[in-house]
Amino acid sequence: MFKAANGEEIFVIDAHIALWDGSPENQVNQHGEEFISCFYDYHKNLSPSENLWDYEKFRKFTPEDLVNDVIVNGYADMAIFQPVFLTDFYKKPFGDIEENNKLVKKHPGRFISNGSFDPRDGERGLKYLEYLKAKHNVQGVKLYTAEWRGSSKGYKLTDEWTQRYLEKCLELGIKNIHIHKGPTITPLNRDAFDVADVDQAASLNPGLNFIIEHCGLPRLEDFCWIATQEKNVYAGLSVVMPFIHTRPRYFAEIISELLYWLDEDRIIFGSDYAIWEPKWLIEKFINFELPEDIKQETGTDLTMGVKKKILGENIARLYGIDIEKQKEILWNSKKAVR
Amino acid sequence: MNNQEAVFEKLNLVYDPELDKSVLEMQFIEEVNIQVDTVTVVMRLPTFWCSPNFAFIMAEDIRDRLLELEWVNKVLLNLKDHCSSDDINKGVSEGKSFEEVFANLANGNLNEVRNTFRIKSFMSRQEHLLRELMSFGAENEMLSLRIKDLNNHPAITDKKVWKRYLTLRSELGFSNQPEELAFFKSTGEQIDPLKLSEYLLEARRTRMSMEFNANHCLGLLNTRYQPKLAGEGKEIENESCTPTRV
Repeated sequence: MFKAANGEEIFVIDAHIALWDGSPENQVNQHGEEFISCFYDYHKNLSPSENLWDYEKFRKFTPEDLVNDVIVNGYADMAIFQPVFLTDFYKKPFGDIEENNKLVKKHPGRFISNGSFDPRDGERGLKYLEYLKAKHNVQGVKLYTAEWRGSSKGYKLTDEWTQRYLEKCLELGIKNIHIHKGPTITPLNRDAFDVADVDQAASLNPGLNFIIEHCGLPRLEDFCWIATQEKNVYAGLSVVMPFIHTRPRYFAEIISELLYWLDEDRIIFGSDYAIWEPKWLIEKFINFELPEDIKQETGTDLTMGVKKKILGENIARLYGIDIEKQKEILWNSKKAVR
Repeated sequence: MNNQEAVFEKLNLVYDPELDKSVLEMQFIEEVNIQVDTVTVVMRLPTFWCSPNFAFIMAEDIRDRLLELEWVNKVLLNLKDHCSSDDINKGVSEGKSFEEVFANLANGNLNEVRNTFRIKSFMSRQEHLLRELMSFGAENEMLSLRIKDLNNHPAITDKKVWKRYLTLRSELGFSNQPEELAFFKSTGEQIDPLKLSEYLLEARRTRMSMEFNANHCLGLLNTRYQPKLAGEGKEIENESCTPTRV
Protein backbone atom coordinates (compact mmCIF):
# COMPACT_ATOMS: atom_id res chain seq x y z
CA MET A 1 0.00 0.00 0.00
CA PHE A 2 1.25 3.40 -0.91
CA LYS A 3 -0.06 6.33 1.07
CA ALA A 4 -0.25 9.35 -1.21
CA ALA A 5 0.40 12.91 -0.01
CA ASN A 6 -3.35 13.51 0.21
CA GLY A 7 -3.73 10.51 2.49
CA GLU A 8 -5.19 8.28 -0.16
CA GLU A 9 -4.18 4.63 0.14
CA ILE A 10 -3.22 3.01 -3.14
CA PHE A 11 -3.33 -0.73 -3.61
CA VAL A 12 -0.20 -1.97 -5.40
CA ILE A 13 0.43 -5.21 -7.24
CA ASP A 14 3.94 -5.81 -8.53
CA ALA A 15 3.26 -7.98 -11.56
CA HIS A 16 6.83 -8.98 -12.25
CA ILE A 17 9.15 -10.28 -9.55
CA ALA A 18 11.58 -13.18 -9.29
CA LEU A 19 13.49 -15.14 -6.71
CA TRP A 20 16.57 -16.51 -8.42
CA ASP A 21 19.76 -18.36 -7.84
CA GLY A 22 22.53 -17.19 -10.15
CA SER A 23 25.34 -18.12 -7.77
CA PRO A 24 28.49 -19.87 -9.04
CA GLU A 25 27.39 -23.03 -7.17
CA ASN A 26 24.27 -23.17 -9.31
CA GLN A 27 25.90 -22.32 -12.64
CA VAL A 28 26.36 -25.10 -15.18
CA ASN A 29 28.67 -23.19 -17.48
CA GLN A 30 30.03 -19.78 -18.47
CA HIS A 31 26.61 -18.84 -19.82
CA GLY A 32 25.17 -18.96 -16.32
CA GLU A 33 27.69 -16.36 -15.24
CA GLU A 34 27.19 -14.25 -18.39
CA PHE A 35 23.45 -14.24 -17.87
CA ILE A 36 23.44 -13.05 -14.27
CA SER A 37 26.23 -10.59 -15.02
CA CYS A 38 24.12 -9.08 -17.79
CA PHE A 39 21.22 -8.70 -15.32
CA TYR A 40 23.63 -6.97 -12.97
CA ASP A 41 24.66 -4.51 -15.69
CA TYR A 42 20.98 -3.63 -16.12
CA HIS A 43 20.75 -3.16 -12.37
CA LYS A 44 23.84 -0.95 -12.21
CA ASN A 45 22.99 1.05 -15.29
CA LEU A 46 19.50 2.13 -14.25
CA SER A 47 19.36 2.10 -10.43
CA PRO A 48 19.90 5.18 -8.28
CA SER A 49 23.32 4.83 -6.63
CA GLU A 50 21.80 4.47 -3.14
CA ASN A 51 19.90 1.40 -4.32
CA LEU A 52 22.82 -0.56 -5.72
CA TRP A 53 23.40 -4.08 -4.46
CA ASP A 54 26.74 -5.79 -4.33
CA TYR A 55 27.24 -8.50 -6.90
CA GLU A 56 27.32 -11.38 -4.48
CA LYS A 57 23.94 -10.54 -3.01
CA PHE A 58 22.58 -9.89 -6.49
CA ARG A 59 23.54 -13.36 -7.68
CA LYS A 60 21.75 -15.02 -4.80
CA PHE A 61 19.48 -13.39 -2.25
CA THR A 62 17.17 -14.89 0.34
CA PRO A 63 13.40 -15.24 0.36
CA GLU A 64 13.46 -12.93 3.40
CA ASP A 65 15.24 -10.25 1.35
CA LEU A 66 12.49 -10.52 -1.22
CA VAL A 67 9.67 -10.22 1.31
CA ASN A 68 11.34 -7.18 2.85
CA ASP A 69 12.16 -5.43 -0.41
CA VAL A 70 8.86 -6.08 -2.16
CA ILE A 71 6.18 -6.25 0.54
CA VAL A 72 7.52 -4.69 3.74
CA ASN A 73 9.47 -1.78 2.24
CA GLY A 74 8.38 -1.90 -1.38
CA TYR A 75 4.72 -0.82 -1.02
CA ALA A 76 3.47 -3.89 -2.89
CA ASP A 77 0.38 -5.44 -1.37
CA MET A 78 0.75 -8.38 -3.69
CA ALA A 79 3.35 -9.60 -6.17
CA ILE A 80 3.46 -12.10 -9.01
CA PHE A 81 6.37 -14.46 -9.60
CA GLN A 82 7.43 -14.75 -13.23
CA PRO A 83 9.91 -17.62 -13.31
CA VAL A 84 12.41 -18.47 -16.05
CA PHE A 85 14.13 -21.83 -15.85
CA LEU A 86 17.29 -21.49 -17.99
CA THR A 87 18.22 -25.09 -17.33
CA ASP A 88 20.95 -25.04 -19.98
CA PHE A 89 22.78 -22.52 -17.78
CA TYR A 90 21.83 -23.47 -14.21
CA LYS A 91 21.66 -26.72 -12.25
CA LYS A 92 18.48 -25.93 -10.38
CA PRO A 93 16.08 -23.68 -12.32
CA PHE A 94 17.19 -20.03 -12.19
CA GLY A 95 13.65 -19.20 -11.09
CA ASP A 96 12.25 -22.16 -9.22
CA ILE A 97 8.48 -22.57 -9.04
CA GLU A 98 8.70 -24.85 -5.99
CA GLU A 99 10.72 -22.23 -4.08
CA ASN A 100 8.26 -19.51 -5.10
CA ASN A 101 5.41 -21.59 -3.78
CA LYS A 102 7.00 -21.84 -0.37
CA LEU A 103 6.57 -18.07 -0.12
CA VAL A 104 3.00 -18.27 -1.41
CA LYS A 105 2.19 -20.65 1.46
CA LYS A 106 4.13 -18.72 4.07
CA HIS A 107 2.45 -15.40 3.30
CA PRO A 108 -1.13 -16.12 2.29
CA GLY A 109 -2.71 -13.63 -0.09
CA ARG A 110 0.56 -11.88 -0.84
CA PHE A 111 2.10 -13.80 -3.69
CA ILE A 112 0.89 -15.34 -6.92
CA SER A 113 3.13 -18.02 -8.36
CA ASN A 114 3.07 -18.26 -12.12
CA GLY A 115 4.27 -21.24 -14.08
CA SER A 116 6.14 -21.46 -17.33
CA PHE A 117 6.19 -23.71 -20.35
CA ASP A 118 8.50 -24.43 -23.22
CA PRO A 119 6.85 -25.85 -26.35
CA ARG A 120 10.03 -27.76 -27.17
CA ASP A 121 9.14 -30.10 -24.29
CA GLY A 122 6.40 -31.67 -26.42
CA GLU A 123 3.84 -33.96 -24.79
CA ARG A 124 5.80 -34.10 -21.54
CA GLY A 125 5.40 -30.34 -21.11
CA LEU A 126 1.64 -30.54 -21.58
CA LYS A 127 1.53 -32.94 -18.65
CA TYR A 128 3.67 -30.53 -16.67
CA LEU A 129 1.11 -27.78 -17.27
CA GLU A 130 -1.57 -30.10 -15.87
CA TYR A 131 0.62 -30.67 -12.85
CA LEU A 132 1.14 -26.92 -12.35
CA LYS A 133 -2.59 -26.34 -12.43
CA ALA A 134 -3.42 -29.25 -10.12
CA LYS A 135 -0.62 -28.68 -7.63
CA HIS A 136 -0.25 -24.90 -7.60
CA ASN A 137 -3.41 -23.67 -9.31
CA VAL A 138 -1.43 -21.38 -11.60
CA GLN A 139 -3.34 -18.64 -13.39
CA GLY A 140 -0.54 -17.46 -15.59
CA VAL A 141 2.69 -18.47 -17.26
CA LYS A 142 5.86 -16.65 -18.07
CA LEU A 143 7.33 -17.44 -21.47
CA TYR A 144 10.95 -16.83 -22.28
CA THR A 145 11.12 -17.36 -26.01
CA ALA A 146 14.89 -16.79 -26.12
CA GLU A 147 15.75 -19.69 -23.83
CA TRP A 148 18.55 -21.87 -25.17
CA ARG A 149 17.93 -25.57 -25.42
CA GLY A 150 20.97 -27.38 -26.79
CA SER A 151 21.42 -26.26 -30.38
CA SER A 152 18.04 -24.50 -30.37
CA LYS A 153 18.32 -20.82 -29.52
CA GLY A 154 14.67 -20.14 -28.89
CA TYR A 155 11.15 -20.65 -30.18
CA LYS A 156 8.37 -18.60 -31.65
CA LEU A 157 4.82 -18.03 -30.50
CA THR A 158 3.69 -19.08 -33.95
CA ASP A 159 5.28 -22.54 -33.71
CA GLU A 160 2.71 -25.32 -34.01
CA TRP A 161 3.60 -26.69 -30.58
CA THR A 162 3.28 -23.28 -28.93
CA GLN A 163 -0.28 -23.08 -30.20
CA ARG A 164 -1.01 -26.51 -28.68
CA TYR A 165 0.33 -25.28 -25.36
CA LEU A 166 -1.73 -22.10 -25.55
CA GLU A 167 -4.85 -24.16 -26.23
CA LYS A 168 -3.97 -26.30 -23.25
CA CYS A 169 -3.65 -23.16 -21.12
CA LEU A 170 -7.11 -22.04 -22.13
CA GLU A 171 -8.51 -25.49 -21.36
CA LEU A 172 -6.92 -25.45 -17.90
CA GLY A 173 -7.96 -21.85 -17.18
CA ILE A 174 -4.41 -20.47 -17.27
CA LYS A 175 -5.39 -17.20 -18.88
CA ASN A 176 -2.47 -14.87 -18.45
CA ILE A 177 0.44 -15.34 -20.79
CA HIS A 178 3.38 -13.10 -19.85
CA ILE A 179 5.90 -12.95 -22.64
CA HIS A 180 9.44 -11.75 -22.37
CA LYS A 181 10.48 -10.93 -25.90
CA GLY A 182 14.16 -11.55 -25.99
CA PRO A 183 16.76 -11.76 -28.71
CA THR A 184 18.24 -14.73 -30.49
CA ILE A 185 15.24 -16.26 -32.06
CA THR A 186 15.80 -18.30 -35.15
CA PRO A 187 15.95 -17.84 -38.00
CA LEU A 188 18.84 -15.65 -37.04
CA ASN A 189 18.76 -13.65 -40.23
CA ARG A 190 15.46 -12.03 -39.23
CA ASP A 191 15.02 -9.28 -36.68
CA ALA A 192 15.79 -11.10 -33.48
CA PHE A 193 13.44 -8.93 -31.40
CA ASP A 194 10.56 -9.17 -33.79
CA VAL A 195 7.27 -8.91 -31.89
CA ALA A 196 5.16 -9.89 -34.90
CA ASP A 197 4.47 -13.41 -33.63
CA VAL A 198 2.54 -11.89 -30.72
CA ASP A 199 0.04 -10.62 -33.27
CA GLN A 200 -0.82 -14.04 -34.60
CA ALA A 201 -0.86 -15.72 -31.19
CA ALA A 202 -3.14 -13.04 -29.76
CA SER A 203 -5.64 -13.18 -32.59
CA LEU A 204 -5.71 -16.98 -32.63
CA ASN A 205 -6.31 -17.09 -28.87
CA PRO A 206 -8.86 -14.41 -27.98
CA GLY A 207 -9.62 -16.14 -24.68
CA LEU A 208 -6.12 -15.52 -23.36
CA ASN A 209 -4.44 -12.31 -22.20
CA PHE A 210 -0.97 -11.55 -23.55
CA ILE A 211 1.11 -9.35 -21.32
CA ILE A 212 4.19 -8.28 -23.23
CA GLU A 213 6.92 -7.51 -20.75
CA HIS A 214 9.10 -4.46 -21.50
CA CYS A 215 6.15 -3.44 -23.77
CA GLY A 216 7.96 -4.83 -26.74
CA LEU A 217 11.12 -2.77 -26.32
CA PRO A 218 13.30 -2.51 -28.30
CA ARG A 219 10.46 -2.71 -30.83
CA LEU A 220 8.07 -0.30 -29.17
CA GLU A 221 6.65 0.97 -32.45
CA ASP A 222 5.80 -2.51 -33.70
CA PHE A 223 4.36 -3.43 -30.34
CA CYS A 224 2.07 -0.38 -30.27
CA TRP A 225 0.86 -1.23 -33.73
CA ILE A 226 -0.01 -4.79 -32.70
CA ALA A 227 -1.58 -3.76 -29.43
CA THR A 228 -3.98 -1.39 -31.17
CA GLN A 229 -5.23 -4.26 -33.33
CA GLU A 230 -5.38 -6.93 -30.63
CA LYS A 231 -7.39 -5.96 -27.58
CA ASN A 232 -6.09 -8.89 -25.52
CA VAL A 233 -2.52 -7.56 -25.65
CA TYR A 234 -1.18 -5.69 -22.62
CA ALA A 235 1.98 -3.69 -21.96
CA GLY A 236 4.08 -4.83 -19.00
CA LEU A 237 6.27 -2.01 -17.71
CA SER A 238 9.13 -4.12 -16.41
CA VAL A 239 12.48 -2.69 -17.61
CA VAL A 240 10.67 0.47 -18.74
CA MET A 241 9.97 1.67 -15.19
CA PRO A 242 13.57 2.38 -14.09
CA PHE A 243 14.04 4.86 -16.93
CA ILE A 244 11.92 7.15 -14.77
CA HIS A 245 15.16 7.78 -12.88
CA THR A 246 17.88 7.87 -15.56
CA ARG A 247 15.89 9.11 -18.56
CA PRO A 248 12.65 10.67 -17.32
CA ARG A 249 11.99 12.30 -20.68
CA TYR A 250 12.08 8.96 -22.48
CA PHE A 251 9.95 7.43 -19.79
CA ALA A 252 7.38 10.16 -20.34
CA GLU A 253 7.46 9.64 -24.10
CA ILE A 254 6.98 5.90 -23.79
CA ILE A 255 4.15 6.15 -21.28
CA SER A 256 2.41 8.74 -23.44
CA GLU A 257 2.76 6.51 -26.50
CA LEU A 258 1.28 3.60 -24.60
CA LEU A 259 -1.57 5.71 -23.28
CA TYR A 260 -2.22 6.99 -26.78
CA TRP A 261 -2.17 3.64 -28.60
CA LEU A 262 -3.34 1.19 -25.94
CA ASP A 263 -5.37 3.25 -23.45
CA GLU A 264 -4.96 3.30 -19.68
CA ASP A 265 -6.56 -0.09 -19.00
CA ARG A 266 -3.85 -2.16 -20.63
CA ILE A 267 -0.68 -0.93 -18.98
CA ILE A 268 0.71 -2.94 -16.07
CA PHE A 269 3.33 -2.17 -13.43
CA GLY A 270 6.16 -4.59 -12.78
CA SER A 271 9.44 -3.84 -11.02
CA ASP A 272 11.37 -6.80 -12.40
CA TYR A 273 12.65 -7.35 -8.88
CA ALA A 274 15.44 -8.15 -8.04
CA ILE A 275 16.88 -6.21 -10.97
CA TRP A 276 15.15 -3.17 -9.49
CA GLU A 277 13.39 -2.61 -6.18
CA PRO A 278 9.75 -1.55 -6.29
CA LYS A 279 10.22 1.00 -3.49
CA TRP A 280 12.03 3.68 -5.43
CA LEU A 281 10.19 2.92 -8.66
CA ILE A 282 6.81 3.45 -7.03
CA GLU A 283 7.88 6.58 -5.15
CA LYS A 284 9.11 8.17 -8.35
CA PHE A 285 6.13 6.98 -10.37
CA ILE A 286 3.57 8.44 -7.98
CA ASN A 287 5.31 11.82 -8.16
CA PHE A 288 5.87 11.74 -11.90
CA GLU A 289 4.05 14.07 -14.26
CA LEU A 290 4.13 14.17 -18.03
CA PRO A 291 5.83 17.27 -19.43
CA GLU A 292 3.38 19.77 -20.89
CA ASP A 293 4.54 19.43 -24.53
CA ILE A 294 4.10 15.66 -24.47
CA LYS A 295 0.64 16.00 -22.96
CA GLN A 296 -0.32 18.37 -25.73
CA GLU A 297 1.10 16.42 -28.60
CA THR A 298 -0.37 13.07 -27.64
CA GLY A 299 -3.43 14.33 -25.78
CA THR A 300 -2.66 11.96 -22.91
CA ASP A 301 -2.16 12.51 -19.20
CA LEU A 302 -0.81 10.43 -16.36
CA THR A 303 -3.30 11.35 -13.67
CA MET A 304 -3.50 9.74 -10.23
CA GLY A 305 -6.45 7.71 -11.51
CA VAL A 306 -4.35 6.36 -14.37
CA LYS A 307 -1.46 5.63 -12.02
CA LYS A 308 -3.76 3.59 -9.76
CA LYS A 309 -4.88 1.53 -12.72
CA ILE A 310 -1.28 0.89 -13.78
CA LEU A 311 -0.11 0.08 -10.25
CA GLY A 312 -2.78 -2.47 -9.46
CA GLU A 313 -6.28 -2.23 -10.87
CA ASN A 314 -5.44 -3.45 -14.36
CA ILE A 315 -3.58 -6.58 -13.32
CA ALA A 316 -6.14 -7.27 -10.57
CA ARG A 317 -8.78 -7.58 -13.27
CA LEU A 318 -6.71 -10.15 -15.17
CA TYR A 319 -6.11 -12.26 -12.07
CA GLY A 320 -9.64 -11.94 -10.69
CA ILE A 321 -8.51 -10.03 -7.61
CA ASP A 322 -11.22 -8.02 -5.87
CA ILE A 323 -9.14 -5.14 -4.56
CA GLU A 324 -11.64 -4.05 -1.90
CA LYS A 325 -11.91 -7.56 -0.50
CA GLN A 326 -8.18 -8.05 -0.69
CA LYS A 327 -7.58 -4.81 1.18
CA GLU A 328 -9.78 -6.04 3.98
CA ILE A 329 -7.99 -9.35 4.17
CA LEU A 330 -4.46 -7.97 3.96
CA TRP A 331 -4.67 -4.63 5.67
CA ASN A 332 -6.69 -5.92 8.60
CA SER A 333 -4.99 -9.24 9.07
CA LYS A 334 -2.57 -9.44 11.94
CA LYS A 335 -0.88 -12.40 10.35
CA ALA A 336 0.00 -10.38 7.29
CA VAL A 337 3.57 -9.26 6.84
CA ARG A 338 2.96 -5.58 7.20
CA MET B 1 45.35 11.78 -44.31
CA ASN B 2 47.42 9.08 -42.65
CA ASN B 3 46.42 5.44 -42.53
CA GLN B 4 44.94 5.61 -39.09
CA GLU B 5 42.76 8.57 -39.98
CA ALA B 6 41.64 6.78 -43.11
CA VAL B 7 40.62 3.76 -41.04
CA PHE B 8 38.59 5.87 -38.63
CA GLU B 9 36.93 7.71 -41.48
CA LYS B 10 35.79 4.36 -42.86
CA LEU B 11 34.68 3.10 -39.44
CA ASN B 12 32.54 6.18 -39.05
CA LEU B 13 30.53 4.97 -42.06
CA VAL B 14 29.67 1.70 -40.34
CA TYR B 15 26.32 1.93 -38.59
CA ASP B 16 24.58 -0.15 -36.01
CA PRO B 17 21.54 -0.90 -38.15
CA GLU B 18 19.24 -1.11 -35.18
CA LEU B 19 20.25 2.16 -33.54
CA ASP B 20 21.22 4.17 -36.63
CA LYS B 21 24.39 5.33 -34.91
CA SER B 22 27.91 4.73 -36.14
CA VAL B 23 30.04 2.17 -34.34
CA LEU B 24 32.31 5.03 -33.26
CA GLU B 25 29.47 7.08 -31.80
CA MET B 26 28.35 3.98 -29.93
CA GLN B 27 31.90 3.40 -28.66
CA PHE B 28 31.83 -0.18 -29.93
CA ILE B 29 35.41 0.02 -31.22
CA GLU B 30 37.91 -0.61 -28.46
CA GLU B 31 41.12 -0.74 -30.43
CA VAL B 32 42.47 -0.49 -33.95
CA ASN B 33 45.85 -1.91 -34.83
CA ILE B 34 47.55 -1.39 -38.17
CA GLN B 35 50.42 -3.61 -39.26
CA VAL B 36 51.51 -2.71 -42.81
CA ASP B 37 48.56 -3.99 -44.87
CA THR B 38 46.64 -5.73 -42.09
CA VAL B 39 44.11 -3.96 -39.86
CA THR B 40 42.94 -5.56 -36.63
CA VAL B 41 39.76 -4.15 -35.13
CA VAL B 42 38.79 -4.97 -31.55
CA MET B 43 35.09 -4.53 -30.97
CA ARG B 44 32.87 -4.89 -27.92
CA LEU B 45 29.09 -4.69 -27.46
CA PRO B 46 26.81 -3.76 -24.55
CA THR B 47 25.93 -7.32 -23.58
CA PHE B 48 27.12 -10.88 -24.06
CA TRP B 49 23.73 -11.60 -25.65
CA CYS B 50 23.46 -8.79 -28.19
CA SER B 51 21.82 -10.09 -31.33
CA PRO B 52 24.33 -12.03 -33.45
CA ASN B 53 22.67 -10.87 -36.65
CA PHE B 54 23.25 -7.18 -35.90
CA ALA B 55 26.74 -7.94 -34.61
CA PHE B 56 27.49 -9.75 -37.85
CA ILE B 57 26.19 -6.90 -39.98
CA MET B 58 28.52 -4.45 -38.24
CA ALA B 59 31.48 -6.82 -38.37
CA GLU B 60 30.92 -7.50 -42.06
CA ASP B 61 30.54 -3.79 -42.83
CA ILE B 62 33.76 -3.01 -40.96
CA ARG B 63 35.58 -5.58 -43.03
CA ASP B 64 34.10 -4.42 -46.33
CA ARG B 65 34.61 -0.71 -45.65
CA LEU B 66 38.23 -1.16 -44.62
CA LEU B 67 38.96 -3.32 -47.65
CA GLU B 68 37.91 -0.35 -49.77
CA LEU B 69 41.20 1.28 -48.73
CA GLU B 70 43.75 0.44 -51.36
CA TRP B 71 46.58 -0.37 -48.98
CA VAL B 72 44.48 -2.72 -46.83
CA ASN B 73 44.91 -6.33 -47.74
CA LYS B 74 43.51 -8.07 -44.69
CA VAL B 75 41.04 -7.21 -41.91
CA LEU B 76 41.11 -9.22 -38.72
CA LEU B 77 38.06 -8.78 -36.56
CA ASN B 78 38.11 -9.44 -32.84
CA LEU B 79 34.64 -9.18 -31.31
CA LYS B 80 35.15 -9.66 -27.58
CA ASP B 81 32.96 -11.14 -24.86
CA HIS B 82 30.03 -12.14 -27.05
CA CYS B 83 28.04 -15.39 -27.23
CA SER B 84 28.92 -15.71 -30.92
CA SER B 85 32.45 -14.25 -30.76
CA ASP B 86 34.20 -17.28 -32.22
CA ASP B 87 31.80 -17.78 -35.12
CA ILE B 88 31.68 -14.11 -36.06
CA ASN B 89 35.42 -13.48 -35.77
CA LYS B 90 36.39 -16.51 -37.76
CA GLY B 91 33.69 -16.00 -40.36
CA VAL B 92 34.32 -12.32 -40.97
CA SER B 93 38.10 -12.60 -40.93
CA GLU B 94 37.92 -15.46 -43.45
CA GLY B 95 35.56 -13.51 -45.69
CA LYS B 96 32.57 -15.82 -45.14
CA SER B 97 28.94 -14.85 -45.45
CA PHE B 98 26.39 -14.86 -42.66
CA GLU B 99 24.64 -17.88 -44.17
CA GLU B 100 27.85 -19.86 -44.19
CA VAL B 101 28.71 -18.96 -40.62
CA PHE B 102 25.26 -19.65 -39.15
CA ALA B 103 24.18 -22.40 -41.50
CA ASN B 104 22.15 -24.16 -38.79
CA LEU B 105 20.44 -21.13 -37.32
CA ALA B 106 19.63 -19.05 -40.38
CA ASN B 107 17.53 -19.71 -43.44
CA GLY B 108 18.62 -16.78 -45.53
CA ASN B 109 20.87 -13.76 -45.72
CA LEU B 110 20.69 -10.51 -43.82
CA ASN B 111 19.30 -8.33 -46.60
CA GLU B 112 15.77 -8.38 -45.31
CA VAL B 113 16.70 -7.25 -41.82
CA ARG B 114 19.09 -4.67 -43.24
CA ASN B 115 16.29 -3.22 -45.31
CA THR B 116 13.78 -3.22 -42.45
CA PHE B 117 16.11 -1.10 -40.38
CA ARG B 118 17.07 1.15 -43.27
CA ILE B 119 13.40 2.05 -43.56
CA LYS B 120 13.14 2.70 -39.83
CA SER B 121 16.24 4.91 -39.95
CA PHE B 122 14.90 6.75 -42.99
CA MET B 123 11.63 7.50 -41.18
CA SER B 124 13.36 8.52 -38.00
CA ARG B 125 15.73 10.95 -39.74
CA GLN B 126 12.94 12.29 -41.89
CA GLU B 127 10.77 12.96 -38.86
CA HIS B 128 13.62 14.89 -37.29
CA LEU B 129 14.05 17.05 -40.39
CA LEU B 130 10.33 17.69 -40.82
CA ARG B 131 9.98 18.78 -37.22
CA GLU B 132 12.87 21.16 -37.59
CA LEU B 133 11.22 22.67 -40.63
CA MET B 134 7.95 22.97 -38.75
CA SER B 135 9.47 24.78 -35.82
CA PHE B 136 11.19 27.06 -38.34
CA GLY B 137 7.78 27.95 -39.73
CA ALA B 138 8.12 26.12 -43.04
CA GLU B 139 5.25 23.71 -42.44
CA ASN B 140 3.20 24.82 -45.43
CA GLU B 141 5.84 24.37 -48.08
CA MET B 142 8.03 21.65 -46.59
CA LEU B 143 6.43 18.74 -48.47
CA SER B 144 7.22 20.39 -51.80
CA LEU B 145 10.84 21.22 -50.98
CA ARG B 146 13.50 19.68 -53.20
CA ILE B 147 16.93 18.32 -52.41
CA LYS B 148 18.59 21.54 -53.57
CA ASP B 149 16.39 23.58 -51.17
CA LEU B 150 17.45 21.53 -48.22
CA ASN B 151 21.19 21.42 -48.84
CA ASN B 152 21.63 24.80 -47.21
CA HIS B 153 18.34 25.35 -45.45
CA PRO B 154 18.61 27.50 -42.29
CA ALA B 155 16.06 25.30 -40.49
CA ILE B 156 18.41 22.32 -40.48
CA THR B 157 20.65 22.84 -37.50
CA ASP B 158 22.44 19.52 -37.61
CA LYS B 159 23.86 18.85 -41.06
CA LYS B 160 24.82 15.31 -40.04
CA VAL B 161 21.15 14.34 -39.90
CA TRP B 162 20.58 15.65 -43.42
CA LYS B 163 23.69 13.85 -44.70
CA ARG B 164 22.62 10.62 -43.08
CA TYR B 165 19.15 11.03 -44.55
CA LEU B 166 20.64 11.38 -48.02
CA THR B 167 22.72 8.25 -47.54
CA LEU B 168 19.65 6.31 -46.45
CA ARG B 169 17.71 7.60 -49.46
CA SER B 170 20.32 6.33 -51.85
CA GLU B 171 20.62 3.01 -50.00
CA LEU B 172 16.88 2.60 -50.46
CA GLY B 173 17.31 3.21 -54.15
CA PHE B 174 16.14 6.82 -54.42
CA SER B 175 17.95 9.48 -56.39
CA ASN B 176 19.50 12.47 -54.67
CA GLN B 177 19.50 14.73 -57.73
CA PRO B 178 18.95 18.43 -56.84
CA GLU B 179 15.46 18.52 -58.42
CA GLU B 180 14.13 15.47 -56.55
CA LEU B 181 11.52 15.91 -53.83
CA ALA B 182 13.12 15.90 -50.40
CA PHE B 183 10.36 14.09 -48.53
CA PHE B 184 8.22 11.10 -49.40
CA LYS B 185 7.29 7.80 -47.80
CA SER B 186 9.80 4.96 -47.72
CA THR B 187 7.72 3.33 -50.46
CA GLY B 188 8.29 6.35 -52.70
CA GLU B 189 4.66 7.49 -52.40
CA GLN B 190 3.82 11.10 -51.63
CA ILE B 191 3.02 12.11 -48.08
CA ASP B 192 -0.61 13.22 -47.92
CA PRO B 193 -0.59 16.74 -46.41
CA LEU B 194 -3.98 16.03 -44.82
CA LYS B 195 -2.58 13.02 -43.02
CA LEU B 196 0.69 14.65 -42.06
CA SER B 197 0.19 14.69 -38.30
CA GLU B 198 -0.75 11.02 -38.30
CA TYR B 199 2.30 10.25 -40.42
CA LEU B 200 4.55 12.21 -38.09
CA LEU B 201 3.18 10.46 -35.00
CA GLU B 202 4.00 7.12 -36.55
CA ALA B 203 7.48 8.27 -37.52
CA ARG B 204 7.97 9.71 -34.05
CA ARG B 205 7.38 6.29 -32.52
CA THR B 206 10.06 4.84 -34.76
CA ARG B 207 12.50 7.63 -33.97
CA MET B 208 11.81 7.35 -30.26
CA SER B 209 12.27 3.62 -30.21
CA MET B 210 15.63 3.87 -31.97
CA GLU B 211 16.88 6.69 -29.77
CA PHE B 212 15.72 4.95 -26.65
CA ASN B 213 17.54 1.79 -27.68
CA ALA B 214 20.70 3.70 -28.47
CA ASN B 215 20.71 5.34 -25.06
CA HIS B 216 19.97 2.06 -23.36
CA CYS B 217 22.77 0.30 -25.22
CA LEU B 218 25.28 3.04 -24.50
CA GLY B 219 24.36 2.93 -20.82
CA LEU B 220 24.88 -0.82 -20.68
CA LEU B 221 28.17 -0.54 -22.55
CA ASN B 222 29.37 2.05 -20.07
CA THR B 223 28.38 -0.17 -17.18
CA ARG B 224 30.09 -3.17 -18.70
CA TYR B 225 33.35 -1.50 -19.73
CA GLN B 226 33.49 1.43 -17.37
CA PRO B 227 37.21 1.34 -16.52
CA LYS B 228 38.17 1.31 -20.19
CA LEU B 229 36.09 4.22 -21.34
CA ALA B 230 37.44 7.71 -21.47
CA GLY B 231 34.18 9.65 -21.58
CA GLU B 232 32.56 7.91 -18.66
CA GLY B 233 28.83 8.40 -18.33
CA LYS B 234 28.74 10.49 -21.45
CA GLU B 235 25.28 10.75 -22.88
CA ILE B 236 24.69 10.12 -26.51
CA GLU B 237 24.34 13.19 -28.65
CA ASN B 238 20.74 14.16 -28.66
CA GLU B 239 19.34 14.50 -32.12
CA SER B 240 15.68 14.75 -31.30
CA CYS B 241 14.04 18.10 -31.66
CA THR B 242 12.64 17.96 -28.17
CA PRO B 243 14.95 17.77 -25.18
CA THR B 244 15.59 14.23 -24.04
CA ARG B 245 15.89 15.17 -20.42
CA VAL B 246 13.31 16.78 -18.21
